[in-house]
Amino acid sequence: MQDQPLPPADNQQPPSSNQPGTVMSTQQVGKYTIQVINNKCIGAASCVAIAPGTFKLNEQNIAEVISQTGDAPDIQLLAGQSCPTAAIVITDNETGQQVWPIE
Amino acid sequence: MQPPQQYQARLEERIEHNPKYLELHFELAAPHQIQFEAGQYVSIKCSEQGHRRSYSICNRPDITHGFELLVDVTPQGVGTKYLSELQPGQEVHILGPLGQFTIANNPQEQQLVFIATGSGITPFKSMILDLLQVKQDKRPMTLYWGMRHAEQLFWMDEWLEIQQSFPNFKLHPVISRPMPEWTLCRGHVTDCLNVHQFHENAGFYLCGNQAMIEETTTFLQDKHVPPDRIHFEKFF
Repeated sequence: MQDQPLPPADNQQPPSSNQPGTVMSTQQVGKYTIQVINNKCIGAASCVAIAPGTFKLNEQNIAEVISQTGDAPDIQLLAGQSCPTAAIVITDNETGQQVWPIE
Repeated sequence: MQPPQQYQARLEERIEHNPKYLELHFELAAPHQIQFEAGQYVSIKCSEQGHRRSYSICNRPDITHGFELLVDVTPQGVGTKYLSELQPGQEVHILGPLGQFTIANNPQEQQLVFIATGSGITPFKSMILDLLQVKQDKRPMTLYWGMRHAEQLFWMDEWLEIQQSFPNFKLHPVISRPMPEWTLCRGHVTDCLNVHQFHENAGFYLCGNQAMIEETTTFLQDKHVPPDRIHFEKFF
């Protein structure tokens, strides 16, 4: 398989819900806020397999967040880290820091 | 399909086929067994920061105590650097099985056509060995394998042995930059596909670089192959 380096995080702030290409749940009640950049998602569904309480594929075969608290935080982070296109952005709600992707 | 699980695995063997392709055999340390379907992949933790990379399993799924991977080491990203430096005895953290690129449960697919470039052949090794040796599948199967240079091909003895043992299997290596003495298919995989006939109900399985996926998908669509019979690995 080709080894595609992850792109660097653009900034340390979570993308705005108004940013094109972003699907966002408004709930921020868990450890993390999880977002899917839908124009990066290829529908590989690894996130759905790892964290089915947090992600599902929509009708366009693009991942979307169904619950910010649907899985344990470490499982949610694992799902983000396993995304082959780095389409999942995870931000720590307490610190405001983006914890995935990292450079 | 089995839900993914985290495993520790120990590298047992490294096989350097050539400067581009490295084969790695892992033995599971804990848990001791993995259940997967041919065509699925594992995600390997490649850095302390949590970077992970995905690699298709290339062995048959009835081998449950370990797994084999094939790595193209030339990109020199975080995954290939990590795996190319890994030595026998060292342990890795994996998550798997993952992926939905498996043989369709579709009896209408009366011929199976596998189209790969480079290391995209890895899921097909698992699928073809499983179909022929385990499931005794008698459908005609053809593997088209695109590579830039003939010297980069690997597993050829194994493929030729399979071809001899199973008359319903045929391999076509396709070389895009061949030496003059190369007598088999040359050019892109679609150049080779173009000179062959397929069953009208063939299923096509694609794994390789994006350009090949796009070119082959267009080629098959032009031949009126319905979309539900064109399957491809998304993450490659």
